Amino acid sequence: MILLLKDALLDFQRNRVRTFLTALGILIGVMSVVLLIALGLGLKNYISDQFAKMGANLVMVLPGNVFKKGQNATSFGVGFSGGAKFDEKDYQALQKIKLADYVVPVYFKSIAIEAQREKYFGYVQGVNEQAFPLLNLTPIIGRVFTKADVATKSKIVVLGYTLAENLFNQEPKNALNRQVIINSQRFKVSGVLEKKGDREMDSAAIMPYTTAFNRINPNKDFFSIYLGVNNKDQVEQLKREVTAVLLKRYEEDDFSVTEQTEILSSVNQIFDIINSILIAIASISLLVGGIGIMNIMFATVTERTKEIGIRRSLGATKKDVLIQFLSEAVILSAGGGIIGLVLASLIVFGIRTFFPAAINLLSVAAALGVSSGIGIIFGVFPARRAANLTPLEAIRYE
Amino acid sequence: MAPIIELKHVCKTYYLGAEAVPAVCGINLKLEAKEYLSILGSSGSGKSTLMYLIGLMETPSEGEILLNNQDVSRLSDAALSHLRNRFIGFVFQQFNLINKLTVWENILLPVKFFRGKLNFDPVKRAETLLKKFSIYERRNFFPNKISGGQQQRTAIARAMIMHPKIILADEPTGNLDSKTGRDILDLIEDLNRSAGVTIVMVTHEQDVAKRARTRIYLKDGRMVKKYL
Repeated sequence: MILLLKDALLDFQRNRVRTFLTALGILIGVMSVVLLIALGLGLKNYISDQFAKMGANLVMVLPGNVFKKGQNATSFGVGFSGGAKFDEKDYQALQKIKLADYVVPVYFKSIAIEAQREKYFGYVQGVNEQAFPLLNLTPIIGRVFTKADVATKSKIVVLGYTLAENLFNQEPKNALNRQVIINSQRFKVSGVLEKKGDREMDSAAIMPYTTAFNRINPNKDFFSIYLGVNNKDQVEQLKREVTAVLLKRYEEDDFSVTEQTEILSSVNQIFDIINSILIAIASISLLVGGIGIMNIMFATVTERTKEIGIRRSLGATKKDVLIQFLSEAVILSAGGGIIGLVLASLIVFGIRTFFPAAINLLSVAAALGVSSGIGIIFGVFPARRAANLTPLEAIRYE
Repeated sequence: MAPIIELKHVCKTYYLGAEAVPAVCGINLKLEAKEYLSILGSSGSGKSTLMYLIGLMETPSEGEILLNNQDVSRLSDAALSHLRNRFIGFVFQQFNLINKLTVWENILLPVKFFRGKLNFDPVKRAETLLKKFSIYERRNFFPNKISGGQQQRTAIARAMIMHPKIILADEPTGNLDSKTGRDILDLIEDLNRSAGVTIVMVTHEQDVAKRARTRIYLKDGRMVKKYL
């Protein structure tokens, strides 16, 4: 077997360009599949992290029916786009639930934020003072706003770390007590939050929801209402009570009351589906690569018919010839697979600084397994043709 | 003495579509140890087919081929390959060396196909043959970098590596100048005399054939004359 491998490698060495081009198909196929798995996995991990950072025991009221019975997770996006628009009446009604330790109305808008001639596209979040303890948001400098600030519609904002960094020359702490302009209105920075690793939160300008009512949110509606309990065991009870309150005003399908874990599993399902489709598309290049290998192996068999005859005259069996050609196809394919895997790993390593992509054991096993499998599947026909040549017709071939 | 190889009423017929083309027919032949036989005949007379039948590269359509009194004409591919590897060495007109392998690797190639434990050291055997055939200095050369005579010596060394009982040579001097051709024939004769290897040589040259102790003449696939 080692001698056969040596033979195969020797042959590749003599036909470097052809070997490289043949393996290239598999290389690109494996690289794209591994990269897609890595990116998909990274995205899932990223989203899981974001949810984990939001704090435990969080119940979210969202518009539309996110988890409509009998539908799968793909209805998730539809749920967000339709359904109820919450307002202060809902907020006040939910505040009456005694079980809830926190009730936070959430207004959310993507917007340009300016300061010191710098402009940054971030998010305005209109919330109340309870958002900070509920979402584990703590300032590195200054203070977060208070109930009084909400009541008096103070024109202050608390900046996320990245936003402050971008607006104030990479020095987030310099933002304290400075002014930012949002929607042509000036706001004083009362504090800067520590870095959360959550893009939306780190790029947010958080202000009292009452302040946002003036010009930024003239419709006075909320995208969501967050509720929280200190005791985790009470989450289910809280969900039931919230649902009961909202049903007085809305239809069942107009809103969803959900925990972050439910959303997370839904998001994961969506990503699994998207990933599967992308991997299936990338697998087509593997198939094309396999056909390329088969094509070259058929050409090689024709080119080396005489050699096959010589080997057969010296005592090589059909099986020896079969193994020789099959091992060449597998080495070619698996070699391409390994290089594809290494390149994908390098790319993943490179992008990890800004995106949490991850290569797991499954990707490695799949890359090596699939590429070797392709070598076997597409190598077996040419190898059989080589093995089935009679020694005499092979040696007489010119 | 029992023959090493015996052909009994052997025929080989090829088919071109539905048409049957007999290559050789009615061949009866006994080859004893240390024999030196040449097969003469014009082009298309069936002499090469006969050689390949003796060399177990072809199976007969009719008749039997006995090797050491065992019928080998219906053996499996693996068994025939093993017998070729162990008992038979081929020398071709075109040398048939593998160009991507060095002289040394070409000579040792049959060892790769042997299943089991060899009762000799192939490396020492290769060295001995290379020295005997005066190509030791060329052992790391590729075939296309050495002369025709050296290539044929390499091919003979390869045929001899497994200590075969029979060497089958198909026009071994056909691609060589007359002096080199004579040297190669001397070398083959020496193997027959000193190593006791049975030689079967296919040729269409009377001069070459006359050097053999026994000659057979083929015409249209039939043995028409036998000279002793």
